[in-house]
Amino acid sequence: MKDILENFELAIIAGNADTSADLADAIVRQGQATADEIFDHLAAAMKEVGARYETGEYFIPEMLRSAEAVEKAMTVLEPYLFERRHEQAGIIVMGTVKGDIHNIGKNIIVSALRASGYEVHDLGVNVSTEKFINKVKETSADLLLLSAFTTSTKPALLDIIAALESRGMRGDVKVISGGASHSEDFAREIGVDGFATDVKSTLAVCRSLTGD
Amino acid sequence: MNSRERFFSVLAGEIPDRVPVIPVVDGYFAPKIIGRDNDECFLDRICQAEALAASLARFGYDGVIAEMGLGDEPNVLGCPVEVEGNDVPLVVETLIGGREDIGKLKIPADSSAVATGGKLEPVRWLVEAVGAGQVVLGSVRSPFEYAATVRGLYDFMTDFYRDPELVRDLVTACIPATLAVGKALIETGVDALVIKDSFASSSMISPDHYREFAWPAEVQVIGELGGLAPVVLHICRNSMPILEDMAKTGAAVLEIDSPVDLAAAKAAVGSRVVLKGNIDAAAVIGKGSLDDVEAAVRYAMSAAKAGGGFILSSGDSIPNTAPENNLTALVEAGKKYGKY
Repeated sequence: MKDILENFELAIIAGNADTSADLADAIVRQGQATADEIFDHLAAAMKEVGARYETGEYFIPEMLRSAEAVEKAMTVLEPYLFERRHEQAGIIVMGTVKGDIHNIGKNIIVSALRASGYEVHDLGVNVSTEKFINKVKETSADLLLLSAFTTSTKPALLDIIAALESRGMRGDVKVISGGASHSEDFAREIGVDGFATDVKSTLAVCRSLTGD
Repeated sequence: MNSRERFFSVLAGEIPDRVPVIPVVDGYFAPKIIGRDNDECFLDRICQAEALAASLARFGYDGVIAEMGLGDEPNVLGCPVEVEGNDVPLVVETLIGGREDIGKLKIPADSSAVATGGKLEPVRWLVEAVGAGQVVLGSVRSPFEYAATVRGLYDFMTDFYRDPELVRDLVTACIPATLAVGKALIETGVDALVIKDSFASSSMISPDHYREFAWPAEVQVIGELGGLAPVVLHICRNSMPILEDMAKTGAAVLEIDSPVDLAAAKAAVGSRVVLKGNIDAAAVIGKGSLDDVEAAVRYAMSAAKAGGGFILSSGDSIPNTAPENNLTALVEAGKKYGKY
């Protein structure tokens, strides 16, 4: 099983969607891997892809190719993970904030959350404040997850918080920001209720804020 | 020496009285100078031109960047655009779902097709308003950038692996659009063209992909338009890995952004092409102190002023949120430390 999971991780890093889906199928058929083990390898792959972007080895197309490998694998894995889910814990609206088109991290998180029992409304990338606000209102979401790859998206995050406050909605929804560069200080500056940097911390903060 | 003489002396390889200062002030920053929001100028083209002229007069830099209306340029190919408040305009509907849609693009056949619907009115207005001693740069998207616009950036970026031939065909299909818009701008009387190729940056795609998909189209359009007016090639964020290639496009000026080390760029290509840049528009002009702006200008001058061939500029568009005093500081420091 360890070999399969490691190869699964390598396939995602290489952006080989067919291989990652085949290995996901092998993981399901063997039936031994825990959700945490799968998410650990997804997070490790995502971290390596991000590192390769930072060092100039990968660019946006390569990152998106890896994102597709994750998406294809998660299609296979979601039912398997769902069987091992926690009880349904809440409704989530999620998207990557305006000015940011990073998809890979968000898509992994969306799949992980769905597999963990949450009802997730994924708004995609480069999402405007209005779209976030409208979807939160429409779904009566418990959690709003704002994906932001770099701290340069701070104005967009602040704008969303300000819009929630000005419309009297801030008390109705818990807000979590997430991205590789997020820190406790950054989260405090923005005024969110929680922050996360990877799959495991996202699941943990969601469970904590919804009392699951 | 007036601004126009200064600009053209640099392009001719001469040493002017001082380094020209032409920051990238466009429709994202300028409207607030006349107390308007970006969405107002989005709907009112002359408002945008008035804002750009007012900003030029207020801050006293050497040239203005003239654009079609904020929503008109993507709309050249039929993309609907919207803007909210002071945000940047967003294309709200992409046109290319797949290869079969390429033939549906409304590619303007020539410059006269671009001028319809008043799209060039702000450029004409600006050319007349700023006077003969100023420089007016007309801004147009590259074929690669048009292709990304009509396809949608996310899908366009995934196409590099899913369907690279679609990228190639789409960029090729958009070449006439850049040529038509570029010629239309030149016919209005602009002094030079800025060809924007932001998505070709090495912060977006690999140098190999740039050379294969973006560079050939740059060479073709600069080859045709460069004979009519000098061309400034703008690639923002990191362009250091492709700087040598950019210098071989035939562009008279390379507009480079803050991630590029200006001294290294000057050493690499400064003897062959004019460099324009590269004060950090977001961190320094947008958020820095007056001292930060002055220090950045002093560094830029120390890195690229010697021997001529340099135009001081922001590396990219100055954000709407930038303090006006920082732009004043940029221009004053540029004039002070740019003297030859």
